[in-house]
Amino acid sequence: MGIHGLSKLIADESPSAIKQSDMKSYFGRKIAIDASMSLYQFLIAVRSEGHQLTSVDGETTSHLMGTFYRTIRLIENGIKPVYVFDGKPPEMKSGELEKRAERREEAQKNLTQAEETGNLVEVDKFSRRLVKVNKKHVDECKELLNLMGIPFIEAPCEAEAQCAAMVKAGIVYGTATEDMDSLTFGSPVVIRHLTFSETRRIPVQEYNFNKVLNGLELTQDEVIVFKNIIGKCFIDLCILLGCDYCDSIKGIGPKRAFELIKQYRSITKILENIDTSKYTVPENWLYEKAKQLFVEPEIQDPKTIELKWCEPDEEGLVKFLCGDRQFNEERVRSGSKKLSKARTGTTQVRLDSFFKILPSQTNNNKRKQKDITNSIGTLILVD
Amino acid sequence: MFEARLVQSSILKKILEAIKDLLNEATFECSASGIQLQAMDNSHVSLVSLNLKSDGFDKYRCDRNLSMGINLGSMTKIMKCAGNDDVMTMKAQDNADTVTFVFESPNQEKVSDYEMKLMNLDQEQLGIPETDYSCVIKIPSAEFSRICRDLSQFGESMIISCSKEGVKFSTAGDIGSANVKLAQTYNVDKEEEAIIIEMQEPVSLNFACRYLNSFTKATPLSPQVQLCMSSDVPLVVEYKIGDVGYIRYYLAPKIEEEDN
Repeated sequence: MGIHGLSKLIADESPSAIKQSDMKSYFGRKIAIDASMSLYQFLIAVRSEGHQLTSVDGETTSHLMGTFYRTIRLIENGIKPVYVFDGKPPEMKSGELEKRAERREEAQKNLTQAEETGNLVEVDKFSRRLVKVNKKHVDECKELLNLMGIPFIEAPCEAEAQCAAMVKAGIVYGTATEDMDSLTFGSPVVIRHLTFSETRRIPVQEYNFNKVLNGLELTQDEVIVFKNIIGKCFIDLCILLGCDYCDSIKGIGPKRAFELIKQYRSITKILENIDTSKYTVPENWLYEKAKQLFVEPEIQDPKTIELKWCEPDEEGLVKFLCGDRQFNEERVRSGSKKLSKARTGTTQVRLDSFFKILPSQTNNNKRKQKDITNSIGTLILVD
Repeated sequence: MFEARLVQSSILKKILEAIKDLLNEATFECSASGIQLQAMDNSHVSLVSLNLKSDGFDKYRCDRNLSMGINLGSMTKIMKCAGNDDVMTMKAQDNADTVTFVFESPNQEKVSDYEMKLMNLDQEQLGIPETDYSCVIKIPSAEFSRICRDLSQFGESMIISCSKEGVKFSTAGDIGSANVKLAQTYNVDKEEEAIIIEMQEPVSLNFACRYLNSFTKATPLSPQVQLCMSSDVPLVVEYKIGDVGYIRYYLAPKIEEEDN
């Protein structure tokens, strides 16, 4: 899933691109949430004694539980979420999807085995690996969002690409996902861990795309005309790291990939220069096609998207969630009231919606980031 | 080389008290013209803008522009070590990663110096346009502080409305509602005790009490406070700091949600 090892590479090479904060600091922001990713998270994480929550008939309800309560938490914090669902997967992804199916089969086998031997830890581990978001989950989730008055969008293809386009168009502030390929699609702001459980106390991480490029020194040409090329250079890096759409060169890890890109600036150039006896380049490597998917993904024009947050349908929610799905009616009603309350009354405006943020001055004389806490306090005399 | 000497070190103490509610750390930008600080609070709702002119200091020298990223908690600790009558001098080398505070007692029998590590802060700077405000209100700072404190007992936010008749602060909450009206005063001996209202057109805006209460921590700096308001723009709360400069707070209003 996503780009192999990218988050670690950014953390190592461009730490200033990552900002830690908490959910509260996003109040007043509209945020596009990668729905498939959050549903997947909920299916894995929302459990009771190791089992998914189910309705009377044994149908899973973990995804509904997660979507309902975590969305309420976002709304209570003043965030306006919009969920973006995946459309049909791109053809290039079929290879990756096959691999995932294989892994799932493997996990199924292991699970049966573990169940036979009665190894509970293993059973838990493999049953989590078997989790898959299916159409029923998605449809139920959409119905729930409708009742909650939360907007959602169905992307023609990949949700991350659609989110990125919406952030670029300025209709939302950022993309909330765990999937790093949102950056490869060029989402200016990517937010991780936003829909995580409160009890885990994991800080929200924000990746700033431009700072990522700066930090990785992929912006040697400061001219804006070249911005496109620089972005592509980053895409090449992501493909080398390993993406969902094609294979990567065997024997090149994140470090090596980064060095090569810094040196040659593109995969084409790298292929001309590396020793192919040492590294196995995949046959008929479709990296150009993969790149094309990142550069010009199939998306709905953000200008045609209108986002509306509506009044929740309390009775509808009770009918949908309680009964067979066994949600506690009192809690559903109070949740609905919270959604409704957040809509009424006054909203605090952010100061940066009045005053423009000035471009940060790059100061070469600045002290090194690392020195902040560990500096021994020695005086450095320059001049 | 940067050096700034202030005979009244208590001014800097008061400035710190006035900003450390809102900010944990901030960058002091030192240049030949003086010291400036601009920073938003964590939630990006309010902004502190501090301006200290070079000629307000008793001695001031800044050869090269210097950005001093400072942890305000640490600076407060150091300032607590200064006596109220002490003379203070801030010193730093060009490109230094520390700043030194020197405190001298009035009769020079005691001299102490404290060195503090600087930080590299990556803070967003906002461009604040010059604005002609519809209402400019001057009131005694203690009065404003009292009103904010009193009204915040009743509700989370208060409405400040300014009209020909005067300025009204009002709030409502679970226990009830509260209103304070101030009328323009005419015959006052001292200007700082007066209530002066200059109004082009009436304005009414809603603000979170929490931030207003933080702003009033600047009350010891000045006997008078100035509020500037226009429809749909942030409020400006300004305290003059003697002849040295000013501290301004900007606060984004709360608005009625557009029904969608």
